[in-house]
Amino acid sequence: MLAHAILSGLVFGCYFTLVGLGLNLIFGVMRIVNLAHGDVVMLGAFAAFWLFALVGLHPLMSSVIVLAAFALLGLPVYYLVVPRLLAARDSEMLSIILFFGVQQIIEAIATIAFGTSERSIPGRVLGRGPLHLLGQALPVAWVVSAAVSLLAVALVYLYLYRSRVGTLTRAVMVNRDEALASGIDVNRVSALAFAIGVALAGLAGVFSPFMLGSATPAMGGDVNLAAFAVIVIGSLGDPRGTMLGGLIYGVALMLMQTYMSAWANLLPNLLLIAVLLVRPTGLLGRQVRRA
Amino acid sequence: MRRRIVVCLLALACMAGARAAWAQQSRPAEERLGGCFDGYLDKAQTEQAAAQQPGQPAAPAEIRIGHLHASSGPYASISMPVYLGLKLWVEQMNAGGGAVVKPFGRKLPLRLISYDDQSNPGTAATLTNQLITQDKVDLLIADSGSVLTAVSVPIAREHKMFLFDPTGTGAAFFSKDNPYIALLADPVSTVWPRFLWEFLKSDVAAAGLTRVAILYSTNDFTGTQAASIRAALKAPGSPVQIVFDQGVPTSTSNYAVLIDNIAAAKPDVVLELGYVGNDIAFLRNLQESGTKFPMVFTLYPGIETSTLLKNVGQTGLAGVFSYVTALAYSYPPEVGMTLEQFRGSWEKAYAKSGVEFGWNAIAGYVTGLVLGQTLACTDSMAQLDVRKSVFSLSGKLKTLIGTFELNEQGAQIGELTPIGQIAPAGSDGIHFTVVYPSAMSSGKPIFGAK
Repeated sequence: MLAHAILSGLVFGCYFTLVGLGLNLIFGVMRIVNLAHGDVVMLGAFAAFWLFALVGLHPLMSSVIVLAAFALLGLPVYYLVVPRLLAARDSEMLSIILFFGVQQIIEAIATIAFGTSERSIPGRVLGRGPLHLLGQALPVAWVVSAAVSLLAVALVYLYLYRSRVGTLTRAVMVNRDEALASGIDVNRVSALAFAIGVALAGLAGVFSPFMLGSATPAMGGDVNLAAFAVIVIGSLGDPRGTMLGGLIYGVALMLMQTYMSAWANLLPNLLLIAVLLVRPTGLLGRQVRRA
Repeated sequence: MRRRIVVCLLALACMAGARAAWAQQSRPAEERLGGCFDGYLDKAQTEQAAAQQPGQPAAPAEIRIGHLHASSGPYASISMPVYLGLKLWVEQMNAGGGAVVKPFGRKLPLRLISYDDQSNPGTAATLTNQLITQDKVDLLIADSGSVLTAVSVPIAREHKMFLFDPTGTGAAFFSKDNPYIALLADPVSTVWPRFLWEFLKSDVAAAGLTRVAILYSTNDFTGTQAASIRAALKAPGSPVQIVFDQGVPTSTSNYAVLIDNIAAAKPDVVLELGYVGNDIAFLRNLQESGTKFPMVFTLYPGIETSTLLKNVGQTGLAGVFSYVTALAYSYPPEVGMTLEQFRGSWEKAYAKSGVEFGWNAIAGYVTGLVLGQTLACTDSMAQLDVRKSVFSLSGKLKTLIGTFELNEQGAQIGELTPIGQIAPAGSDGIHFTVVYPSAMSSGKPIFGAK
């Protein structure tokens, strides 16, 4: 039981790294809190569902389309909203209020458009039967979702640490004003980071029916809570911390389900409270400003 | 600024972790009520009830029906079908000139005032209060499901307003000191699983399957069902042994680890009791894990069959045991439409609504039928007279879900659902074989099919 819980937790944690990654990238670069993140994940889930239901598109193919489409969707949203937010005196606080409103709007529109019933894609689409890993049986769909998540994390890492625009992005993360003073097109870098963040949320949505059982317009709130727990554990603004936070969250959740199942839904809140009280900067907090 | 964000997140986490406690207040002793109704209203009785009597009070312009529904949030998928089923009944009644209201001796149009509580119990509490004190509704209907009904029960009782409870089956709602509630369309959770535990202790045990695992969601609905089943299986002389018994939060969306933990207890029978989303996730994870149990029972394949079939698929549902509701077992109604007629009306009205037709849609319609019969029978619109009228229907009203029957606390004890097993039908459909009780059975159970 313990081995299965830990292994499942690591696999689940990889997926939740992906869920939190986009949220953390946006906060790291722009210092805005996207409370609509969970609803973007939900839109990704419905995009994948409809692509599968209407044209039979495989979720792996859908993920490429969703990545591109959501990135393109993110750009106009950025230019419409974020520069005005950043020009405000209290942009972080304003972003919480603004994106809370956006979240409500997205959920309402999705409910009207898609209805309230649960939707999902058959798990067999990603592979039949369980996959035996280190002596434990895991759903193939979980392993595939985790693998895609790891690939996305690796690509974000390469973008941030092995590309010129990534270097500029990290410069903006460290100090937006100094980056601006040194001639970096902060707006353009931020727009790109915002688009990538939205695209990552959409990608996480594609695999959510496999990891979370089904998708509904109401799923955004729970996803948000888990995503915030993940990035706060690691550290706000640091993608490497997101990986650590995701794995800790996943393993802790599975251990809770195994030994204290009735209390498992308290876990995100407990982790959030514990980290915020003991180490408010997150486990990798010291490195945030030096990214 | 970072500190402010941290404080905000801390506050949000604390708020999310906290749950409001709803205190029960003592109420006057139950009033003993006699019957006012000797059977369902046929056409002649309806006309008789509608006949103007001298000295009757002046009729209002309309009968206001207060209701809550959740168009979003985790309970939307069980709440919206109830709302639309009720709305369909109201529209049909109004198309025919309204409902017969005995105290006024004529038909009156119905006005449905339904607020959206967004699956939030706090909002449901506020809106219940608003319906009673501001809208001054004549009849009050709770939202669907036990979680959202729970908040309306004490408020209705405090205001001495009779609460029509469509599907909130939590046993705690019904007590001798609260005359202001009746459960209409689902059996109370303490009674609902009766056929299930009888089946486990008889046919299933006789087949050598005696080790039972219970996995339930911790809410009033499934928590009470689990408690009833547990008590019955632990009763002296029971041939059944419970080898796994755990609750999980209703928000649980993955069961892979839990299935592994259950398998470690080596049960013959697994009972998973949850809401729609729980059952979907459980059955999907079970299928994907490759784990097999001789018998698996879940609630919603028989309650929201269409939704489960779309999400879990024919293969995932094959062999699963569930309640067999009116969706798959025909009860000849003496009041209202048959299942086929109702489904036809639903499809005509809501085909593009995105809300699936299922048991909860029927529950909404049945709620309307009970309301209609109540109005036709009540001596006045005073709430205890309304209660008297509802209780007079007990044991006599027969709708498309069976016989409406209340115990003295207002809990539904009729309309019990038999136990069935799912088998594939056609290329992607399913059908239920009723396996218990024997008087209703249409076939034998096949164990080891899951």
